[in-house]
Parts: sequence; structure tokens; C-alpha cells
Amino acid sequence: MLNEFFKAAIIINILAATIRIATPLLLAALGELVTEKAGILNLGVEGTMLMGAFIGFLVANKTGSQGIGLLAAILAGGVIGMLMAFMSSTLKVDQVVTGMGINLLGSGVSLFWYRSAYPNFSLSDAALPTITVMEKVKIPFLSDIPYLGPILFSQRMLTYIAFLAVPVVWFFLYHTKFGLLIRGLGENPRAIDMKGVNVTRLQYLATIFGGMMAALGGTFVTLGSTIRFFPEITAGRGWLAIVIVIAGNWQPGRIMVATLLFALLDAFQLQLQGIGVQIPYQILLALPYIFAIIAMMGGRLRSVAPRRLGVPYQRE
Amino acid sequence: MNLLRNYRIEKRSDIGVPAQVLSALVALAVALLVTAILVTVAGGDWKDAFVSLYGGAFGDKGAILESLVRSTPLILTGLAAAIAFRGKIWNIGAEGQFFAGAIGSYWAYLTFEGLPTVLLWMLIFVAGCITGGLFGLLAGVLKAYFNVDEIITTVMTNYIVTYMLALILSGPWKEPGSVYRHTPQVPDYIRLPILASGSRLNLGFLLALLAALLFYYIINKTPLGFEIRALGSNPVASKFKGISVSRTVIMTLLISGAVAGLSGAIELFGSQYRIRMDLSTGYGFTGIIVALLGGLNPLAIIPAGIFFGGLINGSIRMQIITKVPTALISAVQAIILLFLLASQAITRYRIRRIRDVE
Repeated sequence: MLNEFFKAAIIINILAATIRIATPLLLAALGELVTEKAGILNLGVEGTMLMGAFIGFLVANKTGSQGIGLLAAILAGGVIGMLMAFMSSTLKVDQVVTGMGINLLGSGVSLFWYRSAYPNFSLSDAALPTITVMEKVKIPFLSDIPYLGPILFSQRMLTYIAFLAVPVVWFFLYHTKFGLLIRGLGENPRAIDMKGVNVTRLQYLATIFGGMMAALGGTFVTLGSTIRFFPEITAGRGWLAIVIVIAGNWQPGRIMVATLLFALLDAFQLQLQGIGVQIPYQILLALPYIFAIIAMMGGRLRSVAPRRLGVPYQRE
Repeated sequence: MNLLRNYRIEKRSDIGVPAQVLSALVALAVALLVTAILVTVAGGDWKDAFVSLYGGAFGDKGAILESLVRSTPLILTGLAAAIAFRGKIWNIGAEGQFFAGAIGSYWAYLTFEGLPTVLLWMLIFVAGCITGGLFGLLAGVLKAYFNVDEIITTVMTNYIVTYMLALILSGPWKEPGSVYRHTPQVPDYIRLPILASGSRLNLGFLLALLAALLFYYIINKTPLGFEIRALGSNPVASKFKGISVSRTVIMTLLISGAVAGLSGAIELFGSQYRIRMDLSTGYGFTGIIVALLGGLNPLAIIPAGIFFGGLINGSIRMQIITKVPTALISAVQAIILLFLLASQAITRYRIRRIRDVE
């Protein structure tokens, strides 16, 4: 009897953690989806998330306000998105290399800024700067439902936003004129251009949106999860978001499913670590990345990638 | 406005070497300007920072020799990136391959310890190449036969190798009795010979130069080099010329990974003598910037690598004297890369008077 109770508790624990862990991945992946639909392959998601995580932390720590930290991070994400758009849409530079540049920028600037902003910290944990983590928001009535309540409706605000963004992005892309234009950019930018629509402007908007979403996802890694910042705290989540967009076949619904699978894997290994299973935790930590490679191996079956993804549009 | 209408921007048909060098220098100059702003914003004195940075990098003979030591892994990872990038194959995994190479070479040392030193060195280098190369091979095979983008594979293996390294260093190879996660130091006789007494400059630097020459030969004089260049300029045409694209992709990633692995072996036995988590502080990524700053040209990668080696070396003195953190260099690297890309894009165009055109 007691045993049954523990099993149920563990499963609820794992599933609630899955939803939580999915949050930053889902936000970043939905942003990247819109950017890629517009024909821009932004590989700088990791760097953008890291900057979002850092700026969110820094501003929240200095002002004491999570809201201001969140806004500052979104703004930073928008600026980085604009940089990506300027390089790829205006200067028509190679998008792969630009994305790498943005990752290195996020990594370098966050490290430098962190060290400059907190020059006197010692290595002992207690002295490191901290923030308060966002509170969970229990949704009235729904959070009281047995099993489902603690899993789905006792999460942080950003988690609700991330999952609500799935239908919103879907509706925007497939049922608005603006979304149709964005999708057109990835398929046939010349046709969009000939309609008299400003291709560059639209690509800027899509890439800035992607940057903001990535940074928002990044803030969840700090503001939503932990009281301290450390270098490279996003640990490859930005790259996983890119993998998720491919694995989700550039469709919002499937992207959500792919995100949940990755998150479940991560939640599972966290639980295994927690109950002290005799597998080295480093192997467990590497699982999502191994899984990502395996998930990509079915690549031949897919054909829904935007046809002009990563190809700069040149008016001849 | 009328005046402007007389001009138009058009694409240049070809970009000469002087234009490329000029655009790289302009990018460096602008990047330094941004760096000065960054230092000022962070509350430092940019003049002091630059002076101590330069002094620590190239100010005297000792500084120069140490900068060459620091440039050794960067030249090698730069070459690793460049050979793949020449074929428009994106090996972003030099960081993981570097560590894999270090692990492989350390394994070879443990296994073949007691053999004559020269033979042991060769085994160590070969093992480093093989383990680094295996990760390149994995990316190549997955791309050629499973259509998995090599960017994804190489990035993911960076994380996987890092966790495997952490596992090894917390268990089997951990120095007994130490609180740190690192291996014991390798004994004196197996360390690479020092070239200039009183410095740390070692045989590894010469090997890096040799690798650059070898790269130059392979890319310009061998069929494989031709195939890589053809793939980089036009993959569709390559297929029709009878080039096996799959084979070229696999070979290129194998070689690229092997060079990165060799870099790890050389850094381990030439400079740091033990494996630890920060045996590389992002050398694999800096290598990408070194390769691009060198225009993917093996001979230009040498000065580009020395430049970045100098930055890393000089930043230590900069931090001591001016309190500006060494992390500045990580930011500067990315800034240089972005301005380099932008200035190359701008060099591709020129402004002409319409009258001259018609």
C-alpha cells in the first residue's frame, strides 16, 4: 500500500519535472521555428539563451526585481536577434558562421560581464551572488485535481506561457496573413518580394522574435530554476532547441511533443540521480545529447524543412 | 539625392588577396575599438589594459615564447576547422575532438609505457589522431549515410565528450589522494622537448608548423584536396565531375577530427602534462575564429594563431595589473569574428559611378 503510494509520487515527480524542464526548450524552439520559417537559420540560439539567462540574473540581482530582469533579458534577446538579422538578411553573410559568432559572443560577453560585475566574489559558494527564484503559481481548482494538478497546474508562470505559445504560434503561422508571408519567405522569397512586401523587414521581425523567445527561455534557466549563475549555465539547451525544431518537423504541435520527450529523458535521469541509482551521473547527463544524435538519424524521412532555409535572398 | 543616383553598389567578381588582408585588418581595428568601449563600460582603463595586454603578449622575449606556446593548440585547431570549412563542411566539434585526442594519447601512454621514448611519442600522437578522428568519422558517416547534419553531431559530441571526461577524471584516472579532478602528471622523459631553455616553448609548436605545411600540400596538390575545394565551391557540380561526395565528406571530417585530436595530445604532453577539465579553455572554438581570420589559408592560420595565443597569454598580465578579467579575451574573439564577417561581406561589394558602367 505504502509502496504504491511512493510509486505514484515518483511518477508525479518525474512528470512535473518534465513540464518544468520543457519550458526553456519549448520557448527557444518555438522562437527558432518562426525564424527558420522566414528562411533564416539562426544557430546562435545557445548564445542568445545564455545571454538571456545572464542578463535576467544580473538585472534581477542588481534591482531585486524579477520582472525588470525578465524584460531586460527579452530586450537583450531582441538586440541579439537584430544582430543576426543584420548579418544574414542585410549583409547576407554565411548564416552558419554568424550563428557560431553569436554563440561565442554570448559565452564570452556573459563570462566577462559576470566577472566584471562581481569582481570580489570568492570561490566559496556562500559568497556568490544570488537571486530569488520565481514562485510557483497554483491555478485555482485545476491544481487540486489529483495527479494532473501537481503535474500541470502547479508550475511557474513562464511554463504556462511556453505551453500557451504553442497554439498561438500555430495560429499565427497558419491562420494569419502575416504568418503566411513569413512561411513564404522560407519557401519562395522572390514571390513575396514581387508582391511588394519588404523581405528584409519581415526577416528582421522573425529573427528578433526568435531571439526574444530564446532569451526568455534562457531566463527560465536562471530566474525560474536556480539562485546562482555560473558560466555556460544553459549547457547546450539552445542546441537541443535546434534539434527539437528538426525533430518536430517544423510543426508547432510536433515540436511540443519532441520537447516533452527530451524533457522526460532529462527528468528521468534527474530522478535516477535523486534516488541514488548506481550509474555514474555523467553518463545520465550525456543522455539527451546522445538521444539528440539518434533522433536526427531518421532525417531522410523528413522533407518539410523550409526550402530556402539558410540561403540569403538576393534580388537580381 | 541626385548625386547618389549616379552610383550603384555591385558585387565584385573576384576578391584579391590584398583586399582580403585589408578587410581582416579593418575588422581587427574596429574590434579593438569595441573592446576599448567594453573595458571602459566594465570600469577599467582601456589604455592600461591594452598596454599590459600587449606587454604580456609580445613585450619581451619571454612573453613572445610563451605566446608561441599558447598559440600551438590554436594553430592546430585552426587547421582542423579550416580543412573542413574549405569543403563547406561544418566541424564545430574540435573542442570535443581535442579532449578525445588527449584521452586517447594518455591511454596510449599508460598502455605502452616503457617502450623507447621516440616510439612512445609516435604511439601517443597516433592514438590522439585516432580518437579525435573517430569523432570526426562518426559525424562523417552520419552525414553521408543518415543525412544527419554534421553541425548537430559535432556539437552534441562536444557535450558528450565533456561528460565522459568528467567521468574518467572523477574515477579511474583521477590522481590518487588529490581533491582536484585531474590525472597525475606524466613523467619528465615523455614530455615533449623544450626548444628554448628558460621557456615552455616545445616541440609541439614545430609540429603545428609542420601540420600547416602538410595541410597546404594536401589541399593544393592532392586529389583529396581538389575534391574538398570542389565540394566547397559547388557540391552539385562535384557530383557530376565524378567525385564521391560521401567519401570526401567522411575523409575530410576524419582528417579534421584527427588534427584536433593531435592538438589535444600535443597540449597534454607538450605544455600541461596532465589532463584536467580545463586542458582546453575553448581552444576548439577559438580555432574556428583563427581559421576564418586566416582566410582558411594554412599559412595565414599560423600568424592568426599566434595573434590569439598572444591575446590569451597577454590577458594574464592584464588581469594582474589592471584587474580587467581575462574573460575579456573570450568576448574579444567573438567580436573579432563578427566584424571579420561583416567586413568580408562589405569587401564583396564596390561602389561605382553609373556613367563608368555604361
